[in-house]
Amino acid sequence: MQELLGRIARLDPSASLGLRVIACFDELIVGNVNTRALLATAAALAGCTAGFRQSVPPRTLRVTPKGEAVQGESPTDPSNLHVASEDGIDVWLERDGAAGPNDALILERLALAVRIRNGRGAREIDNRRHLGILTGRESTPDERLTAASALGLSATGMYRLVVAPLFAVWRNHPAGPEDVIATPFGPVHAIVVPERYPPFGASPCGIGTATPPDSLDRSFRTAMVALRLCRAPKEPQVVADSYGGLIELLADADEHAPHSDADRVEAIAHYAWGMETIDAVVAAQSVREAARLLNIHHSTLQSRIDTITATLGFNPFEGFGRSRLGAAFLLHRLRTSTVLDLPAAAAPGNVAVLGPARPATV
Amino acid sequence: MARAVPHPPFDAELKAGLAVVGGMFPPTITADLIEFMRTSYASPPMDEEFDRRRIAVNDVTFPGGDGAAVNAAVLRSRDFSGPRPAVLYAHSGGLMFGDMFSGLDLVLDWVTELGAVLVTVDYRLAPEYPDPYPREDMYAALEWLAAHVTDLDVRADRILVAGASSGGGLAAGLALAARDRGGPRLCGQVLDYPMLDDRCMTASIEQFDGIGVWDRISNETGWTALLGEQRGTDLVSPYAAPARAQNLRGLPPAFIDVGAAEIFRDEAIDYANRIWQAGGDAELHVWSGAFHACDIFAPHTSVGRSMIRTRNTWVEKILAD
Repeated sequence: MQELLGRIARLDPSASLGLRVIACFDELIVGNVNTRALLATAAALAGCTAGFRQSVPPRTLRVTPKGEAVQGESPTDPSNLHVASEDGIDVWLERDGAAGPNDALILERLALAVRIRNGRGAREIDNRRHLGILTGRESTPDERLTAASALGLSATGMYRLVVAPLFAVWRNHPAGPEDVIATPFGPVHAIVVPERYPPFGASPCGIGTATPPDSLDRSFRTAMVALRLCRAPKEPQVVADSYGGLIELLADADEHAPHSDADRVEAIAHYAWGMETIDAVVAAQSVREAARLLNIHHSTLQSRIDTITATLGFNPFEGFGRSRLGAAFLLHRLRTSTVLDLPAAAAPGNVAVLGPARPATV
Repeated sequence: MARAVPHPPFDAELKAGLAVVGGMFPPTITADLIEFMRTSYASPPMDEEFDRRRIAVNDVTFPGGDGAAVNAAVLRSRDFSGPRPAVLYAHSGGLMFGDMFSGLDLVLDWVTELGAVLVTVDYRLAPEYPDPYPREDMYAALEWLAAHVTDLDVRADRILVAGASSGGGLAAGLALAARDRGGPRLCGQVLDYPMLDDRCMTASIEQFDGIGVWDRISNETGWTALLGEQRGTDLVSPYAAPARAQNLRGLPPAFIDVGAAEIFRDEAIDYANRIWQAGGDAELHVWSGAFHACDIFAPHTSVGRSMIRTRNTWVEKILAD
């Protein structure tokens, strides 16, 4: 793993290895793995043996970068030990010579994970980072303002949250306070940018609505919806502004509550042509225009629309039909989104990989 | 838009590992990422590791399938002497990238612990060298090895073929070809999460789209690089896509391992099952929570260690004195 980190750094000198280390331990904590596994990952990331000792009950464990437990006490030369110590638990890296570039972070994350695994009051010890407070729905506007000022944001400015999976493909990074934030859909990389930000490329990536600092939790929620609506490679980046109030509604909706229109869209999605046809119907002003978008004959489209109308129980081209279908379409996409299933690919910025075309084969 | 298909979960330690692996091996590899992968998946310098393990390395060339010179390396432990068992190794890399030292760590245990002589081959890569170059380079390597058992001081009766991922597919194809052509006799085949089927139709392929290591699209990219427009047609040779072989009788004992959380799960299980149905010898391990090649990327994990230990035990059974 240390070797892989080195490769990533060589491929993309601007890549944040720290974020990967954090993401790695976040998954280990969420996965509730045991102390040996935590030490094994720390050792593998650092490329040297990692150790753990707790006083009560007495227990020592040392694990190599290959995940093998080693017997005996740690080397006695204290200059080879890089220790993080807290609350009766020590963790260390047995490194010959100078500390590696990620040692401090690996130790900090290891100490945290080991404490949680060994039952030292899981939550309160994780000092919530400022960005977590800024984007957290449960924080108060005052707490968010305090966090914003700690991050150097102006109390009167307007900002947006940019969110991406930890392995999004970045062509270039926007500047701004950033951190990894845990969400029910998995950890995301979050960056605060000004309302008007210089263009950047990331896939997949969601950009939230602009809000004052004390309401950035709302921008974060809209950014999360935008992210989960991404469809790389054709739509690698979604800006919440394009959906306006609709995305704000979705941000506060319980996606898994029964929703009759979305349930019917799901039935339509079972047809091979289903989703692309709804996509065109929602975007187009007429059957003819939708047929053009799909590059099919309008009579072919009409027969699909007949099926859609019969399944939905309403005509998408009449009255509130298109609004209902549009909202249900977005909700269905959120329900079935795989954008955050696992962090998507990160290839380095110096290779043009944003939205790679799929091969022309079936 | 692809609908989300439920898939078996990744093991927690391995999922954490993906946080790092994804930075150099994206889940979805399209043709325009081949050059990137050739850089990112190139093997690191190995000299220190060889020294530490007391392994001597000889670079050799041999005539490939079409007679052109192909490179290989012969690795041997300094701590063993006399005629030794041999392992012919086909590296991983989706048929398009990687080199003869890619993912080699796992195979080096057989050199240091069992005294095996390892011949690892720089078979030529698609798409520049499509089928039959990669597989015929491997076959030529086997013939070269068999013709040089005396110079190399290896035992002609104990040649094992092994490969990982695309190399696992090549190893399986090599065992089929050696059987059909009356070639050198193999004492076993180690097929690690092998890439066997160009048709890309199994349920496990549908389950891993855009996640893990080597997803549906990556697989289509690799097979298309190898086979071009013939991919998926009846023109594809079973030596290129061993899942297409009708007859799996008379093959050397096979060791097959694969992750439950990867696209090759179903084709690996099917291949083992068909060997059994043909009356053959196969040992199959399906590792819960394992993504593709997780033992290469995350050997420190509980699952990775179990995979390596289990495989080494089988190889010891076949190769050890």
